[in-house]
Amino acid sequence: MALAVIAAGGTSAAASSAHARATVETPIPLVAAPDAATDMAQIEYDPLEGFNRGSYTFSMGLDRAVFRPVTHGYMAVTPTPVRHRVSAFVYNLGEPSTFLNDVLQGKPKRAGRTTARFAINSTVGVLGLFDVAAGMGIRSHDADFGQTFGRYGVKPGPYLYVPVLGPLNFRDGVGRVFDFFTDPIGLAGQGWTSPFGITRLVTQTIDTRANADLAFRALDQAVDPYATARSAYGQHREALIREATGAVQELPDFDDVPAATDPVVPPTETSTVPAESATPQPPTAEPAAPAASPEPQ
Amino acid sequence: MTNVHPTRRFAQLALVALVGLGVMTQAAPALAQGQREPQAEQFVQTPAQRVISVLADKNQSVAQKKATFHQGIDELADVPRITNFVLGKYARTITPDQRTRFAAAFRVYAESVYQNRISDYHGETLKVTGSTVRKPGDVIVNTTISGGQLGQPVQVSWRVLGGGTAWKVVDVQFKGVWLAITQQQDFVSTIDNAGGNVDVLISQLQRDAQRPASR
Repeated sequence: MALAVIAAGGTSAAASSAHARATVETPIPLVAAPDAATDMAQIEYDPLEGFNRGSYTFSMGLDRAVFRPVTHGYMAVTPTPVRHRVSAFVYNLGEPSTFLNDVLQGKPKRAGRTTARFAINSTVGVLGLFDVAAGMGIRSHDADFGQTFGRYGVKPGPYLYVPVLGPLNFRDGVGRVFDFFTDPIGLAGQGWTSPFGITRLVTQTIDTRANADLAFRALDQAVDPYATARSAYGQHREALIREATGAVQELPDFDDVPAATDPVVPPTETSTVPAESATPQPPTAEPAAPAASPEPQ
Repeated sequence: MTNVHPTRRFAQLALVALVGLGVMTQAAPALAQGQREPQAEQFVQTPAQRVISVLADKNQSVAQKKATFHQGIDELADVPRITNFVLGKYARTITPDQRTRFAAAFRVYAESVYQNRISDYHGETLKVTGSTVRKPGDVIVNTTISGGQLGQPVQVSWRVLGGGTAWKVVDVQFKGVWLAITQQQDFVSTIDNAGGNVDVLISQLQRDAQRPASR
């Protein structure tokens, strides 16, 4: 109980300001993504690392004690096709929430696809057990409030590892609270405390843990699992937000190793230094030279 | 204890997005429509498909797969470049002796980890769907891997560097997550926490390589 309250409290502090920014800022749909260094720095922004690492260790211990054994039991007794049906069923119940965010993001085509998927899969697809729509070429996509905020320019803010809930950042934590209070299926099902709500919660928790099993294994193989999870979560979320903004990811140059401490990138050898330009150029001048170069680009 | 709400995002993001490798979401990277690079696409199609086919082949023993991966990796990936990249800022300060020992330890570690990871996905068919030239010699090739145990096709992007007919993979993206970038964060964080001592990372990698993969 307390955990969710803490999570909600921690994130609601930032809620009003984040929401204000989201509504006040003019949408800039095709803004270029920040440069690679800034992008990475945002993902790695972790002023609460001490708390977060403790929370991570606690959550992983709980996973080993409870969630992993339950999930592995589930995986042992159900064949893969059955688990795929469960995943499809759980996913279908999330489509109305996806639709809501598609609309808020001003994406009528995506909203239309979500509507079509929900209508087809809930009927022909037997209450969502079968993703018939994907077979018809109407592929699924995700949308949530964190993405909606990001689409309007809200930055992720500090990284946060919430016990049990897992990795978040401030923006997506606030988004999660909004998701909770606006989820149409949750509202129609009388909240999470109703028999339907509890069944859905338990089912999707086990389903999600099963689907993430390979990811958990990958974390086991990392040297610093905490840093690995933080990086992967941040990249995953930023990719989802680029999907909504249409921005192109800026990647670091692969051979350009970041400087040890100072953010100022030293000039490369080929750059021209004004002081030297007065001296006569040798005949074998660097190709990167000045505008005087007659080479066609 | 788990006072959590019933939107699917609860579990989905708490757990699936934990390392961004879950199977439910479809977070294909939004790449601009750029110029395509057919030779880079061809490069990814042929050797990458071969490695995937071998790893997905149930008739081959684990030892056979391991040998194939060991041989195929140099044809597919630019190992020296990746080795330098994953050190991040420490690539500038590492001593030549440390670099030699790190390269050896990283190679053993990476072979074991990535072989497991590719095998885990059991995809059977790789199809190139396009490519984007970031700049000449630096291309993102987009592919879809399907079949096998995969419930639905997954989008995988390959960052390849080179030119002409000579290309090498330096990074792979899945669910928005670049493996080499993530690996860099992992290693840099480890060295940071060891007060900048690269030897701590090297001995950790050597230890991990001897540990059997947790199943």
